[in-house]
Amino acid sequence: MSMMGTTRERRPALGATLRRFSGWVAYGTGSAMMFAMTIAAAPAQAGDADIAAGRVIAVQGAAAGQPACAACHMADGAGQPEGGIPALAGLNAGYIRDQLTFFAEGQRTHPIMQPFAKMLTAEQRGQVAAYFASLPVPAPAESTPPPQSLLETGRRLFQDGDFRTGLLACASCHGPDGQGVGDFSPRLAGQSATYVTEQLDTWKAGNQRDPNGAFMRAESGHLSDADIAAVAAFIEVLTKGKDNKP
Amino acid sequence: MKPIAMLGVAAIAAAGLAAGAWHLAAPASADTPPAAGASTPPAAEQQLFQPPPDSAIPKGPFGDEVRKGEAIFRDTGANASQFVGNDLRCSNCHLQAGRLAGASPMWGAYVSYPAYRSKNGHVNSFEERLQGCFRYSMNGKVPKLGDPVLVALESYAYFLAKGLPTGVKPEGRGFPPLSKPEMPADYARGQQVYAQHCAACHGPSGQGQSSGGKVVFPPLWGARSFNWGAGMASVKNAAEFIRANMPFGLGGTLTPQQAWDVGLFIDSQVRPQDPRFTGNVADTRKKFHDTPMSMYGTTVNGAVLGDPASTPPFGTVPNAGAGK
Repeated sequence: MSMMGTTRERRPALGATLRRFSGWVAYGTGSAMMFAMTIAAAPAQAGDADIAAGRVIAVQGAAAGQPACAACHMADGAGQPEGGIPALAGLNAGYIRDQLTFFAEGQRTHPIMQPFAKMLTAEQRGQVAAYFASLPVPAPAESTPPPQSLLETGRRLFQDGDFRTGLLACASCHGPDGQGVGDFSPRLAGQSATYVTEQLDTWKAGNQRDPNGAFMRAESGHLSDADIAAVAAFIEVLTKGKDNKP
Repeated sequence: MKPIAMLGVAAIAAAGLAAGAWHLAAPASADTPPAAGASTPPAAEQQLFQPPPDSAIPKGPFGDEVRKGEAIFRDTGANASQFVGNDLRCSNCHLQAGRLAGASPMWGAYVSYPAYRSKNGHVNSFEERLQGCFRYSMNGKVPKLGDPVLVALESYAYFLAKGLPTGVKPEGRGFPPLSKPEMPADYARGQQVYAQHCAACHGPSGQGQSSGGKVVFPPLWGARSFNWGAGMASVKNAAEFIRANMPFGLGGTLTPQQAWDVGLFIDSQVRPQDPRFTGNVADTRKKFHDTPMSMYGTTVNGAVLGDPASTPPFGTVPNAGAGK
């Protein structure tokens, strides 16, 4: 079995998920009144009120007819690993907010996320970000563990980089436990291999992905496809410190 | 401001650490594999010494020592805590764990000692040179000669230098030399460069940032950074390092002027006292910082850098477990 085979086999699931999702768009739950009441009470800084408002958006949609984030990212923010839909739970609020803003302003392209992000006001984006950031990092999904040799290669690349290709250690920005740093480098520990692979492929193809993507575009150029498969596999099973908030 | 204007003057006392034009193709930006569409690296870069990978570490007691040295190098606070007084690691400046050309690689250092150093006026062994790192860059305590920490670090450096001749300055040693700035380095411009290109990682106050309680982005000034005696407290060294290696992973993207400006800005901040402090700032400057490349003893933002009233102490060991 090739290294990439593991990842490729998972990919059809994403299309299936998105097809399912397009059905959900039609019947967004009506919670406009509840949402409007909550937002009026929201303070300027992220707090309980923001999180509560964000929860309404995430679980019920921002307004009647609007889809809920949870439809794809799930109510617990675990995402759908097999479909490459990223986990959001426990990510830094500023990071989520920034990415939503990039989607909304067209600085990060994605056929699903761009229109949804545009439906939200800047305040709502901050609220939904605060909500997902407040969630505990979900337990890793049960899956067949990748080969140990693949994980060891991934561990080495993640922790040490590779001076022969110029690759910096992932840990040197995302932390030795992959928990990320503030709103600059996102938490990686436990993120699905499918999602990580897709993002690295995007950067490696020369796309910056978002206004902060120059760093990852540069690093991805030092990764072979086999390296990407290894580091993505390692990240998916990297759960140390999963109970800690970044 | 007078001291800043002095930077335009060519009075660089520190010895040049590297020569040649290889740095024009900084490894960090030119190592892109062909698959990503990069052109063939310049010939000069291909001639750079290649240190051995970890997989070449031999079995047996010597190999164990090399591994121990690399572990200290990568996580100094955890593996040599009794000598570390701040939140830095060797690998914060010696990038790729001492392997990267242009970031003071350990292979380049290893074959350069014993050597006379104007800093202390005598011939230093490699081990004594390592002691200096703990005293100044790590703001810590000096391990005695022969201490297991020094033996391990020396073993690691020796391993990395495998096959490299002594007595010849290898390409990629130290930091790539940087031409003098077109305009004298400027604090205000440096502050802007810092805010735009550095603060996202190193923090708006230079305090560094952590991930899960572990310091990931090193503090650049303040009580948890290198002290005034460190090489990086020289504006020239900082500018050279920054130009070649920062922002991390995007080395070579700042202009030389930006590197000088931001190097000056960083080296104009409060940091731990010089361990050679004589009790008097002006006297200490005269003895150890008599160069336009040091801001020690100058007045910045209304305060004298090095003034004991506003300067954290040197050698704050044990580390009290902060951030580790």
